[in-house]
Amino acid sequence: MDESKDLKLRIKQMIVETLNLNDVDPVEIIDDKPLFSGENIITLDSIDGIELIMAIQRNFGVRLDDQNLARNILETVNSMAEFITANIKAS
Amino acid sequence: MDKVIPFEHKMSAHCETGTLSSQLAFHGLELSESLIFGIGSGIFFGYFNNSKFPFPTFIVRNKPGQIRKNLTKRLGIKFTSETFKTAEQAQNKLDVLLEKGIPPATQVDFFFMDYLPQYLRVHINVHFINVVGKTNGNYLISDCYYPKIVELKAESLEKGRFAGGSMAPKGFLFYPSFIPKEFDYEKAVRKGIKKACFNMLKIPIPFLGIKGMRKFADHITEWPKLAMDSEDLSHQVSKINILLEDQGTGGAGFRFMYATFLKQAAEILKKPELIDFSKRMMENGDKWREISLKAARMGRDRDLSVEKLKEVGDLIRERADVEELFFKELSKAVK
Repeated sequence: MDESKDLKLRIKQMIVETLNLNDVDPVEIIDDKPLFSGENIITLDSIDGIELIMAIQRNFGVRLDDQNLARNILETVNSMAEFITANIKAS
Repeated sequence: MDKVIPFEHKMSAHCETGTLSSQLAFHGLELSESLIFGIGSGIFFGYFNNSKFPFPTFIVRNKPGQIRKNLTKRLGIKFTSETFKTAEQAQNKLDVLLEKGIPPATQVDFFFMDYLPQYLRVHINVHFINVVGKTNGNYLISDCYYPKIVELKAESLEKGRFAGGSMAPKGFLFYPSFIPKEFDYEKAVRKGIKKACFNMLKIPIPFLGIKGMRKFADHITEWPKLAMDSEDLSHQVSKINILLEDQGTGGAGFRFMYATFLKQAAEILKKPELIDFSKRMMENGDKWREISLKAARMGRDRDLSVEKLKEVGDLIRERADVEELFFKELSKAVK
């Protein structure tokens, strides 16, 4: 499995664990479909968003302090992976 | 009139500081949002429980417009600003400025910015945007909450600029009219920090600064008596999250932005010890975010017993203790 796929799977596992989505198989979450608009197999709300911001910090050591940027970064698994990759490299 | 002003669009954490930053950049001065926030002594706290408000509320930053005024005091940057009696006068002035190649910032009710997703659009009268052109009768808007410059119908802009209610915009617009060639950043940063410390520690009003946090912590258990019903209480508790995280705060009630400022201040004042203050403020922000999340969950799950509210109050009191010590030590560090 390449690094990018591995990271995306970790993100999906993080989403499922953080939000206690016990009936969701992480691999079923679609990488490029929005997580907040009902187009993916899960639909998140703004409270879930804050939980994910904190989970990204805990799991990947990457801070997401700007709430406006967070809306874009948390949009899909792909956008989260891009953000985490860029910020791990930067640090 | 068709006019497109070459304006560099930037997203930012907060509309007032973001708009100021991009306005200044247009006029050739690069000043980051966090530096503007810090020099402008933006960090604050106030808890309001009086007849002016239908329900107790709080603020986590100083009043709108104060950051801009503090920039004028501390850096000598002058702004031209104006409000209008009628929407027609306001639009005429806007068109005249655009024709001259001046893209002003204007105050609007967030709700009418219909390029934003529906779920974000709530009535907030103090949102700032830049108007950077006009094409086919539509205005070109640089809104720091939106990823790119976007068109807005003239009638939507008019509704936004002339929304009624508390803090009504009255077409308010502003733009920099004088920027000095040189600045004493060291003096400005020092003054900005000192004033912030004063506001948090010594302002002689019992519901502002650290005193306001403690008042909030003590009073939150009274909220069930003040709410109309459990639905209202749930809404009010959820609003703690909205005010700390969503309403243009950049997250954690501006504490993260102040942490970034302190990092910059360490360099400007040549005081590496401020890096440690920055880290402490970042950790403090994390704790405010936890309060925000706890309140949001309680609101969502209708978990609103007095015991639960007391837990939130205890967490806020803990923040008051931490911030009191923090600002006392910060004040000494910049003497």
